[in-house]
Amino acid sequence: MSDALFRYWPAIVAGIVGAAVPRRDSVKLRAGLGFIAAFLVFAVQALWPEDPSAAHAAPSEWPHLLNVLIFLPLIGAAAVLFMPRQLLGLLRAFTLGVLGLGFVLSLMLLTVPMSTGWHFVSIHEWIPAFGIRWHVAVDGISLWLILLTTFMTPIAVYAAFGSIKTRIKEFCFAFLLLQGAMIGAFVSLDLFQFYMFWELMLVPMYVMIGIWGGADKVKASVKFFLYTMTGSMLMLAAIVYLVWTHQKLTNTWSFDYLALSRVVLPGPSAAGGGWQSAWQVTKSPQGLCFWAFSIAFFIKVPMWPLHTWLPDAHVQAPTGGSVILAAVMLKLGTYAYMRFSMGLFPGPASSFAANLAGIAILGGVIYGALVAWKQQDVKRLVAYSSVAHLGYVMLGLFGVSPSGMQGAVLQMVNHGVSTGALFLLVGVIYDRRHTRMVDEFGGLAKQMPIYAALFLIVTFASIGVPGTNGFVGEFMVIMGTYTSERLSTFSGIHTVGASAGVILAAVYMLGVVQKIFFGPLTNPKNKNLPDLTVRETLAVAPLIVMIFVIGFFPSIFLDRTKDAVQLEYNQFKTVSEQSIRFGDEKNAQMLPEDDFSPAFLRGAPGFKEDEKPADGAEQARGEGDAQ
Amino acid sequence: MKLGLYLSISPLLVVALGGALLMLAEAFSHHREEHETRSEGPSASLAFGTAITLFTGAIFAAAVWAVGPETLDGAKDLAPWLIIDRFTLFFAFTICLGGGLASLLAGGYLPEHRIDRGEFYPLITFSSVGAIILAAAGDVLTLFLGLEIMSLGVYALTGFRRGSARSTEASMKYFLLGSFAAALLLYGAALLYGATGHTDLAGIRAALVAGNLNFGLVLIAATLMIVGLAFKISAVPFHMWTPDAYEGAPTPATSFMAVVVKSAAFATLLRVLLVAFGQPELSSWGAGWPPIIATLAVLTMTVANLIAGRQESVKRMLAYSSIAHAGYILVGVTTTMRLHEDGQASVLFYLLAYTVSTIGAFGALILCGSRGAEAVSYEDLAGLGKRHPAVALVFSLFLLSLAGIPPTAGFFGKLYIVKGAIGAGLYPLSVILLLNSALGAYYYLRVMVFMYMREPAPGAAFAKPMKSGYVTTALVLAAVAVMALGIWPTTSLQVALHAALAP
Repeated sequence: MSDALFRYWPAIVAGIVGAAVPRRDSVKLRAGLGFIAAFLVFAVQALWPEDPSAAHAAPSEWPHLLNVLIFLPLIGAAAVLFMPRQLLGLLRAFTLGVLGLGFVLSLMLLTVPMSTGWHFVSIHEWIPAFGIRWHVAVDGISLWLILLTTFMTPIAVYAAFGSIKTRIKEFCFAFLLLQGAMIGAFVSLDLFQFYMFWELMLVPMYVMIGIWGGADKVKASVKFFLYTMTGSMLMLAAIVYLVWTHQKLTNTWSFDYLALSRVVLPGPSAAGGGWQSAWQVTKSPQGLCFWAFSIAFFIKVPMWPLHTWLPDAHVQAPTGGSVILAAVMLKLGTYAYMRFSMGLFPGPASSFAANLAGIAILGGVIYGALVAWKQQDVKRLVAYSSVAHLGYVMLGLFGVSPSGMQGAVLQMVNHGVSTGALFLLVGVIYDRRHTRMVDEFGGLAKQMPIYAALFLIVTFASIGVPGTNGFVGEFMVIMGTYTSERLSTFSGIHTVGASAGVILAAVYMLGVVQKIFFGPLTNPKNKNLPDLTVRETLAVAPLIVMIFVIGFFPSIFLDRTKDAVQLEYNQFKTVSEQSIRFGDEKNAQMLPEDDFSPAFLRGAPGFKEDEKPADGAEQARGEGDAQ
Repeated sequence: MKLGLYLSISPLLVVALGGALLMLAEAFSHHREEHETRSEGPSASLAFGTAITLFTGAIFAAAVWAVGPETLDGAKDLAPWLIIDRFTLFFAFTICLGGGLASLLAGGYLPEHRIDRGEFYPLITFSSVGAIILAAAGDVLTLFLGLEIMSLGVYALTGFRRGSARSTEASMKYFLLGSFAAALLLYGAALLYGATGHTDLAGIRAALVAGNLNFGLVLIAATLMIVGLAFKISAVPFHMWTPDAYEGAPTPATSFMAVVVKSAAFATLLRVLLVAFGQPELSSWGAGWPPIIATLAVLTMTVANLIAGRQESVKRMLAYSSIAHAGYILVGVTTTMRLHEDGQASVLFYLLAYTVSTIGAFGALILCGSRGAEAVSYEDLAGLGKRHPAVALVFSLFLLSLAGIPPTAGFFGKLYIVKGAIGAGLYPLSVILLLNSALGAYYYLRVMVFMYMREPAPGAAFAKPMKSGYVTTALVLAAVAVMALGIWPTTSLQVALHAALAP
């Protein structure tokens, strides 16, 4: 006890400072801020990468943790259906309790060192006739995205309860269902299971936009649903094609991602550069399947020119829905591209890298920023800024360099935190004035000083000022672009374009901050606006703290992702070369198991770890720790 | 006297006997006068009796399956008129299940809408008998017999609401076009007999294999038979009667038509194509029926989905949606050319999934309306999610299953068909199917839009949900089946695979 007290004294001090220093009347608010401060400092301390020599034996992994994380909200959703709709307090407390419990449980993921390979694996036979299994696992890439999900949803729900007053029961049901589906999609390693969660996510989000949305909600929700569904239908066709190919080669049915990543579909034997060969790749089965998967993911990201559903969905969605949509659901597109498109089709992903990176820069980073600049509606502006930010993430992935990919993973988390916070803050003025038009405001800093300060901090994070989270991620992505081998001759010009995007981001974000908060307070309707309420402050505070935690201590995050990214990078490199070497215009082939790290294949159907690879896995783990 | 013979056709006998008893019971039952408000009508007991009869038929089918029809002594005695194999038993089960659920729906619907006359129940039972005969028919003569027994009942059911001009028109239209289709089928069968000298499907096949035939005659005969069956499964361009008949008929009769008639027609289609025209040349892409079926499938899916999106009446939309689903199933039929068992199993599984989802959707539509305020148009459903959340939730579940959203039965059925189509190398067909289901999602979602996201216009009439134990029971059964088939499909998949016709 005294040891713990001694070790974690900074956390206790932070708690006292957080509770005592800000001038606040409400005891509840002081206690909440103090708790948040103490908790976050504690988290930083506990997560600080330790000296590998002092690392104790790896704690055992509870295999059902991921299943619990998925099914806890799903069962909660079913339970909500049986609760009386008049008891608003019970419904709210229950939903927050389930989501909070999920967050606490998800912290258990951090108790094991994220060495190379899969953790918390849970495999069960599900539909043996089709080779469909329940296969969930987590690695360094999905780890932070799961934590982002469990971290953001309670905040979003807590904030949403402030503004949503109608049909609370449906809201709780939709949110819990969404939570289960999102976590399920992040941890699934069986393509059938992944597809199921991917589609299941649509329904609650559709309902959320459609019921609690703005004036044009129905159009926005239907557009969102149909766009995403069209993409996923193409993906389903590609999944089935891949499964059939695997069946023809091995005579076993399997939807397992690990098993299917060994399949090399027919493709052109020599992939060079230029449009001619890009067309050659596209019209081969390998290229078609790559596009079928990737288009589904690009719609979700969203990448230009498939982004047009996003501004509508964001503008119409209620604040809580926007936060989740921006913070988590868009990440599913980038995560799925990284995991599935790059993992299953490294050949095409490698040959299209330069072209796609060009689209990410021109259509995402630059076009998104320019369109954001001209927006009058703040929420629409933030929506377009998402297009720009996710352009960076995709750029990091297209470049396929270790630092770019790590930056992309970090930037996914960053974007979740800072854009989530921006949507929460935009929701604050919308709740007060029922408008989000920039012209309606001006000089708010005099009336709402705390709000203005927080908004400015989040803006800095969003444009990547050093010391905030955005800087680290963007810097790593740009660095990765410059050093990328895939982009070869184009890497220089891509880097210039990406850097220009940073400047544009400053232009549009600071422009809107200036118009809203500074200058004279002319509009009489803004004269009596109250500053942030207790609920709003408590919702935004953890996000503000996270902005600085990631900004100052990125190694907490990078340390846990680096092994997984390195593994994926090595594998991408080997397999994309192999798939070119093995490429055959007519016949599909299986790559030998030796091309993959045993740590990666562990858990694949039929994969037996004999003595030697097991040693190798141990060795790999040891190396991972030593790095 | 062979016990095995009676045992093997026991599903048929049970339903037929039950139908006769029901007719007797109906004759002695107390007829409610039209002006009486709340006295006991015949539905109260007859609906229950019909459901019991048909579910018993389903149980007998399952029992014969468990015993194994090939081990029953005498099961082959009725061949080629009635072929009792696992294929027949699967369809007998599906038909009885669909008929039983439809009669439960009728038990709530008919009294509510004051058309509580007992004939409905014997008609539905005898129609099911016809459907089972149709599914079992191995000879063109019994095929025609089954088709007519089934259809005559359904014609009467369609026109059941005597006072309504719409119902009568629907019945008339269905009767005329149905007879026309039956005539085409019969003509095709006659030509086939002329060409081959056989009326039994296996014999026709043998004659075709032997060769030395008037090939033009066979071609015309095959086309006529396919067209006749296409009328029954309502494939585009032979679908014109469907929306009118479905809309005009009382809703339980509509659901019966949508599931039972369609299942039986698909059973026959499969049997005719695979047994009579099943030899390798005729079932190849270059020189056989697959391109015809594939063209029908593409037309049916696309046209029906496009028109369904433009409908203003939910019932009519569901009619077009059932046409679109026939298109999806036709893709499954096409895949049988290369994947014999798997292709059939996908059709069978899809029909089972479609049966429970469609009955559920029509049942939820019934539950949404009450006397004088029947749910017909989208506007009728506005704000239902707020007024009656349970009804709206269960309706949404069935719609999502029809749209093919996991983890429901409809999704798994679609996945199975797509898997077959890709395995058979029919890539364009599978992509068209998938894009069509995205198109289909639009109009299913539109119902949810009205239920959850719209409020009724001030002063506008909206549907008031009825209360009925029968309808609720049917919906609960269907909802459980939809979820069970979606999440644990393993058993039913194996059953469907077992049920496939031998090559």
